[in-house]
Amino acid sequence: MIHNPMVEILGAKEIIVCAGAGGVGKTTTAAAIALEAARRGKRAAVLTIDPARRLASALGLKELTNDPTKVSPRKFTAAGLEVEGELWALMLDTKTTFDEVVMRYAPSRDQAERIIANRFYRNISSTLSGTQEYMAMEKLYELHADGQFDVIVIDTPPTRNALDFLDAPRRLTDFFESRVLRWFLFPYMKAGGGLMRMANVAATTFLRIVKRIVGADVLDDTAEFFANLEGMYDGFKERAGEVARLLKSDVTSFVIVTSPAADSVEEATFFATRLNESGLPFGALVVNRVHPRFGEDPIDPKPRQLHRLAEGGERARLLARLLENEEEFRKVVELEERNLDDLARRVPRHRWIRVPYLEIEAVDAAGLRAIGERLFGPAA
Amino acid sequence: MDEFLAPRILIVAGKGGVGKTTAAAALALIAARHGRKVCVAEVDRKGSLARLLGGRTHLTYEPAELTPGVWGVNIAPEEALAEYLEVQYKMKRISRVFTSTHFVDYVATAAPGLKDILVLGKVWYLEKNRAAGTRHDFDTIVLDAPAAGHMLQFLSAPMGLSDAVRVGPIRRQAEWLVEMLQDESRTRVHLVTLPEEMPVTETLETDAALRERIGISAGPVLANAVYQPLLSKSETKLFGELADDGSLDELCGEANEVGLRLEHDDLEALLGYARFRDARRSIQQKHLKALKRGVAQPVLELPFVFSAGLALPDVELLADVIEQQVAAL
Repeated sequence: MIHNPMVEILGAKEIIVCAGAGGVGKTTTAAAIALEAARRGKRAAVLTIDPARRLASALGLKELTNDPTKVSPRKFTAAGLEVEGELWALMLDTKTTFDEVVMRYAPSRDQAERIIANRFYRNISSTLSGTQEYMAMEKLYELHADGQFDVIVIDTPPTRNALDFLDAPRRLTDFFESRVLRWFLFPYMKAGGGLMRMANVAATTFLRIVKRIVGADVLDDTAEFFANLEGMYDGFKERAGEVARLLKSDVTSFVIVTSPAADSVEEATFFATRLNESGLPFGALVVNRVHPRFGEDPIDPKPRQLHRLAEGGERARLLARLLENEEEFRKVVELEERNLDDLARRVPRHRWIRVPYLEIEAVDAAGLRAIGERLFGPAA
Repeated sequence: MDEFLAPRILIVAGKGGVGKTTAAAALALIAARHGRKVCVAEVDRKGSLARLLGGRTHLTYEPAELTPGVWGVNIAPEEALAEYLEVQYKMKRISRVFTSTHFVDYVATAAPGLKDILVLGKVWYLEKNRAAGTRHDFDTIVLDAPAAGHMLQFLSAPMGLSDAVRVGPIRRQAEWLVEMLQDESRTRVHLVTLPEEMPVTETLETDAALRERIGISAGPVLANAVYQPLLSKSETKLFGELADDGSLDELCGEANEVGLRLEHDDLEALLGYARFRDARRSIQQKHLKALKRGVAQPVLELPFVFSAGLALPDVELLADVIEQQVAAL
């Protein structure tokens, strides 16, 4: 029997995290995995981070929201797929999820509302890097704890660097807790308490400059935000710890998604290393957008032969063009193989699934089905 | 070509993975070929720009000559801030505090868009030949902009900042940047895309937003990695007949004539690759059509480069193609 790592993962795991560089088909892969889970009778949810309108319409939904929406099985019956279980889809809303987190950890409703109304806070969810990743993990934790689904498939934000995603919770708590920040904001928060102000001349000089650059009200917002956040750090930290434990546990599996392009292979290699170092469970590697390979060995005609064919009759000229085309594609295929060889040193090939550049287009129900067949073998 | 290179700032923008950096490199080469002293800039990223232009190291904040006439820089917001403080406030030492901590993160969160403004500010400095400590006077600045979603945020940052900062030097400078971006004689954007569904959809949205929200002038769109037709009309017909009759092996005779032996497997390969290219090409043509229908400016088609890893000669070739197509506009 041919061993398929994806089938193994789907049989045993509750959380499947699809990670990799941007533009390699993570969202589509995640959706195809969730669809397959549903096809196998599970209650499956796909949580996407991308504002993937195209995915929504492929699933027959007007839009995806922060709450799970059930996908009508009719969409798939039309594409020739029997879905025995259920497929649900949702899209992360960073701001709403963050609001819920604040509500949960704030000592009082008043304080929560003050934080949520603060301008600095409002900017965090849209500007601060790492927030989206953190909230994605938070949402995932919530969905899992809720127990409504047998399996949750999530794609990760299109971060430039896979590192960002793994480090997000720690980076965000660092950001909130930085000593440097307090050192700077301390005199500001205690403005009027003359002694304190004088105690830290460097800090006030610093603040004066900042104020000149961004304006005083911006600084007020910042100080107010951090003052309100006081006392909530422990809650954040504890939750970050729980999320980390869940990701490391044996209910979770990471699927690395890549294309054979040099930069995404580089990122996938790096990510595989990081998973390993961080003790996170690696499940499979999906290589999307692989150019297909036809024939065993390159034909490798001599330039002299090609030249003579190109000078010949109609058939000879046709053959010359076909040979040139074969040669050109071989170059691409060989380059891809070379790129992937580097990855093979990190991830054993029996954990790989290759999804060739499909000649049809991927983002509709039939496309998801085609990808699913590549990932899990043909539908029974 | 003079018209094409008229604005001193060329911003190359598009979704991640569409070949933005390659396009930026090609535009930089073209400008250099026409006697411009060019600075090509990437933003806060250690990308492939240097390698594509034949340079050996990563780009730094200091311009370095990559190929004759083309210098490269990497603009990190932290360094741009340090330079800003140095020029504006003569603060060399304290600026290290700003760059060494979370500081830029805090301020950027407090005043979103500040990072982007710092980067655009550096472009402005380069345009005005005022970059601290350098004696470069660049004629053309090619900016490899951040990926599309972020790009609109990036280019609209100077406008957005006026909401957070109502007075002071930063406010004034944000206004200068808005002027720079909206002046079509100074700045032009080239969108880069792939002839595929999602990239084209996104390009159309970005194109509309650039005009409506930012008021920036847009030059020809660059459609990347377009498969060229493999066969002429008569060759296609002949190929179709042979394939339909299952008589492709007649080609083996032609091969024998020149001393080339083709096995059955080889014929399969020839057929497979030809059909793959044809299938991809017809998908691409459909999306190119939608792209051309959707944008007002011309669409330049860059050929798919069959290469074992892009390098300077490939970029030279793409530059040739762009020049030919621009000349024909």
